[in-house]
Amino acid sequence: MIADPPPSRTKNGRIRPLSAATYLVRNAGRTIPLTGVIMLAVVLIAGIVALMNSIPLSIRTTYSYSKYSLGMVPRGSGELSLNILAKLGHESPVPIERVVKCRASGCQVKSIVGKWPFIVLGMNRPDIEYFLKRLGARSLDGRLPTKGKPEAVVSEPVARNLGLKLGSTLLSPTDQDNYSPHTVKVVGIANTNEWVMLDDIEYQRENHFPPVDNLMIFAHDLQQQDVLDRWAVKTFKGDRTLVFAYFILEKETTENFQTLYAILDVVIGVLVLVITIMMGMLINIYQSQRLVEFGLLQAIGYTKRQLLQRVMRETMWVLVLGWCLGIVCSYVLLIAADKTLMHPHAYALQTLDPVALRYTIPVPLSILLVASLTVWLRFRKFDPVGVVERRLV
Amino acid sequence: MIQACGASLVYMDHGRAVYACHELNVDVRENEFLGILGPSGSGKSSLLYLLSGLKLPTEGEVRYRGQNMAILSDEARSKLRLKEFGFVFQQPYLLGYLTAKENVALAARPGNGVLDPEDLLDRLGMGDKMHRHPHELSGGERQRVCVARALFGHPKVIFADEPTAALDHKNGTHVVELLNANRGHGSLVMVTHDPSMLSEADRILRLSDGTIESEEEGRLRLES
Repeated sequence: MIADPPPSRTKNGRIRPLSAATYLVRNAGRTIPLTGVIMLAVVLIAGIVALMNSIPLSIRTTYSYSKYSLGMVPRGSGELSLNILAKLGHESPVPIERVVKCRASGCQVKSIVGKWPFIVLGMNRPDIEYFLKRLGARSLDGRLPTKGKPEAVVSEPVARNLGLKLGSTLLSPTDQDNYSPHTVKVVGIANTNEWVMLDDIEYQRENHFPPVDNLMIFAHDLQQQDVLDRWAVKTFKGDRTLVFAYFILEKETTENFQTLYAILDVVIGVLVLVITIMMGMLINIYQSQRLVEFGLLQAIGYTKRQLLQRVMRETMWVLVLGWCLGIVCSYVLLIAADKTLMHPHAYALQTLDPVALRYTIPVPLSILLVASLTVWLRFRKFDPVGVVERRLV
Repeated sequence: MIQACGASLVYMDHGRAVYACHELNVDVRENEFLGILGPSGSGKSSLLYLLSGLKLPTEGEVRYRGQNMAILSDEARSKLRLKEFGFVFQQPYLLGYLTAKENVALAARPGNGVLDPEDLLDRLGMGDKMHRHPHELSGGERQRVCVARALFGHPKVIFADEPTAALDHKNGTHVVELLNANRGHGSLVMVTHDPSMLSEADRILRLSDGTIESEEEGRLRLES
């Protein structure tokens, strides 16, 4: 036989039968569905937003290597590089730490929404070593490419994304997406979180088009790099030079996703509205079922204000509990999704996404608003005599 | 203690004014058992609601210790009911998710200190069932819990609106006995249509069509 629950008491021994906790715990049949709906709504919204955010996050993560240098491609003639270097040397707003000459060939990486273009950068050995160091490479499994040979180094996320190991083929004559006239094998995997593919510049000069060396200009640190990038974009505007800067990538990513986020706002808004209407109806039904309780309590002397405060306390508990459980649950689910679906392919996913959390806040707030309105309307002209006379039950 | 002076209660029925109570003059005295007797629709429950402040008279006034209840705010009247009055209704209304003891504790009266309902439930023969929920109690037991709730905290006046209506005669009589025996120095105002339930009443008002038909002292009524 199950023992009766002990009455809830305050510290001074007074029994508090009308505490919110007493009602919510002993009416689990009502509390759990209400809490559950809020929890599921929060899980749904947080999940959708976090997954949606993973797309621009993936773009930023995949091409994040570009924030370590300013990329400049002369348009039409390799001799233009000298002009670029001269201008940089005279006018750069920050000291230049290193200028790396490189070549680039195209390839592709996988993303959650399909294949994305990527580049294999061809550099000489000292530049590869420098670049990997700037990218925060902790170690290298294997070795660096040999001069003139079809060999490449990839970073760990790239290896995970494309399923590459030491000795795997990165580029091949038969692969249209990842083409090279010779089979380029992976000879080294760099342990860094940045995405990068590097091979030897001589190999690229002999086998890849266009026959123009590109420039990668490095400032001392990321802060100075950003200053240099912004200056270069402004300064070289209209010149025969293509400038690649990370802040442009960020800006374009934000702009490109504005429409998608506007649609997301509408979808989430409709979802919140539907959930709020549903919760409003549920709360109304539950309040109707408690008419006898409210009538009795008001008849024996509880004020409308006390009853309103009590119902609002109960509502607040349900909302806070549902929201917190929803956040925890969505966090756990996103961790599971990350471990099983995203991380094995190096897809980016923020499991505790502050933007996703912000999107869930309207759920409890709108329900609180509807609940307050529902309860207020019910109590406004509520006559306890109707209940004790059995006219309202 | 409570005076109804020319108190009327009018409600509209399809555009027609109907008097539930008509110019009633009633005085509830200290420590008395006042019975209100009458057939169904005679206005006895309406009178009880007027005397207890649950309803305000549409004409005349009802005073508690000289204070016109109509002047008090809704909140002040509620507080007055909780502090000074106890109620037993026709149906044994209890909150289903609370135990018998917790239901009684609902009527904890502000300013009366920390009281434990256990002694009271013991006196009413519910000591061994105080931790049970209403669905585990019989109809008579539930009404006894309601009686305990009305008596809890020593209210100045206990209003009982047909407290025996949902019970058999034996249980009904027992409930009235319990109410009367445990009210201490409080007054008891009881509405019923069954004269046998008022054998202990000090005074009986007979109502008919919203007016007082007669007023009898308890002893005289017993002798007659």
